[in-house]
Amino acid sequence: MKFRSQRVAYLFFATSMLLFLLQIVFGFIMGFAHMGFDVLHDYIPFNAARTSHLNLLVVWLLCGFMGAAYYIVPEEADRELYSEKLAVVQWAALVIVAVTALIGFQFGWWEGRKFLEIPRPLDYLVVIDVLLFIFNVGMTAWNGKRFTTTSIVLLLGLTAAALLYLPGMITFDSQVIDSYFRWWVVHLWVEGVWELIMGAIMAFLLIKLTGIDREVIEKWLYVIVGFTFLSGILGTGHHYYYIGTPEYWLWIGGIFSALEPLAFLGMALYAVTMARRGGMNHPNRVALFWTVGCGVMSFVGAGFLGFAHTLPQVNLWTHGTIITAMHGHMAFWGAYVMVVLAMITYALPQMTGRKLFDGWMPEWAFWICNIGMLGMTGAFAVAGIAQVYMERKIGMDFLAVQEAVEVHFGGVVLAACLLTVGVLMFVFNFIQYGLPNDEAVAGS
Amino acid sequence: MLSKSQARWFFIGGTVFFSAIFIFLTIDTLREIPARQNSDQMTASVVRGKMIWDESNCMGCHTILGEGAYYAPELTKVVDRRGAAWIAIFLKDPQAMFPGKRRMVQYDFDEGQIQDVIAFLDWIGKIDTNGFPPEPDLAPATLVSLRAEQAAVAPPQYFSTVCIACHSVADNGGTVGPALDGVGNRMTSAELDRWLSDPQAVKPGTAMPNLGLAEPTRAELVAWLAGLK
Repeated sequence: MKFRSQRVAYLFFATSMLLFLLQIVFGFIMGFAHMGFDVLHDYIPFNAARTSHLNLLVVWLLCGFMGAAYYIVPEEADRELYSEKLAVVQWAALVIVAVTALIGFQFGWWEGRKFLEIPRPLDYLVVIDVLLFIFNVGMTAWNGKRFTTTSIVLLLGLTAAALLYLPGMITFDSQVIDSYFRWWVVHLWVEGVWELIMGAIMAFLLIKLTGIDREVIEKWLYVIVGFTFLSGILGTGHHYYYIGTPEYWLWIGGIFSALEPLAFLGMALYAVTMARRGGMNHPNRVALFWTVGCGVMSFVGAGFLGFAHTLPQVNLWTHGTIITAMHGHMAFWGAYVMVVLAMITYALPQMTGRKLFDGWMPEWAFWICNIGMLGMTGAFAVAGIAQVYMERKIGMDFLAVQEAVEVHFGGVVLAACLLTVGVLMFVFNFIQYGLPNDEAVAGS
Repeated sequence: MLSKSQARWFFIGGTVFFSAIFIFLTIDTLREIPARQNSDQMTASVVRGKMIWDESNCMGCHTILGEGAYYAPELTKVVDRRGAAWIAIFLKDPQAMFPGKRRMVQYDFDEGQIQDVIAFLDWIGKIDTNGFPPEPDLAPATLVSLRAEQAAVAPPQYFSTVCIACHSVADNGGTVGPALDGVGNRMTSAELDRWLSDPQAVKPGTAMPNLGLAEPTRAELVAWLAGLK
């Protein structure tokens, strides 16, 4: 790393790893419940496991994004972080909020609104925390020697993500309006501003790993995030088909969602061509694996599988079925989990000065994780398609259908075991690197 | 070839343009929602029902308007499907209705809370959802004709809304309890009446809940069941 204060990113990355493992534990609880073994029902009922699983994902990804920003912004601005102390305080506050929320969920302290279950008092703390974070990286970029496009897009994404959290904090009496604005947060995050963060992190990694000229990479970054907003903003319409909103959303949502894969296709082509053009000469080959893999898998999960059930004619039947879980898993994995893991894989050797990326383990972790996730997606897809036909098309009873698809959740759990092995290998590698080291600071 | 500043303007221009359209559509949507959701029918009970819905995190297992988790049934049209009477009994003890099946959390709602939840679900079911959830379009023809045949027998309304969740007649209904075809041959009216008044007294440990039936409802059921020969 170039600057000593970049080491603060390590705290965020380590927290991400820990919360990721916890997220997987709750995932297993749900997988077993779907198989018919809801043995923890009296202690951790399904809704508590589900809320924990979703919110841990959101928190650890945000934590990873923050770590990435603390690493990237000083390097791009060519100066030390505005305040390393503030970053540590902000990290501690985030951990406290996350742990409080997680414990609260187990006792039914929640809001019951999918993805935004964190109770209102903690929402305010989240806002303050994120403002501190944006102030810190914002000041670093503002006072920096240069303000690069990568920094601009990253900060724009982070600031917009913070602003878009606010519509989720308004209370509505109507389920319809509540849902309408809940998607402003959830959809405009994951199919909007988070893609800016993802694009910027990928741009940074591609510049570092391929050695291609910054101007070329950043030009395409603008094109890709341009497509993201061009399709993604009105693409919110695919959540407004059947919740009591006007009929015109059927065709607006349909058309613009059909364009959404373009941004992800752009992301995939961009990563693959830059990696090929730049040659695979960087010694940290596995970081390039994760970066290019992220581009490809985000296209498969978010782009292709999203498109697979986003047309109103299809969605009428698949809306609110396991098909959604199928798309959701692969989309979050490909787009956001992989970009955070790519960033960690790149940053760890830089921060610790140890080059542990050559062994067999990092590359095996990459392949095992991805094969596991593909297997899970396949099992979810089979369960989902069976559910759509039996329950929605033929009209069979819900519970009878659930019993019929229990066997496919056996497949989900098996594939999840594979994924877990891969993740444990990744985390083991993470621990092997040890702590950031002052000797790793360039020129020291 | 595209220059970087052109790319930047493509990004800024596209974002501003499509955000403006989105804001405009949002304003229009908010104008149209009151008619589509029947705002005039949103009583205090409906609003309380939504609060109970949120506080209990029902979406953590169920879907409503197709949104939520996929562990428990979609509830948008549940009042049409099951009827308010059935839901009221079910919410008192979810386990009793589906013994040995996937479990729901026992919330210990009081009578008022149950009525609020039902009011909320009833209001949800009347929202104009552009046709969601759709009617099954591949339902076997036999199922449809059986329904027609059953309609000719004209079961009491209580049977078609509550009993049918667990029991079947002519292959139509639930499978939790035994099929009731020909039950009139197996049990007399007096036995049926005693059974419906207190199943536990007749057969301790049975999964059949005491439904607390009012006298006229029970008499109507007994008369109809005794006729199933």
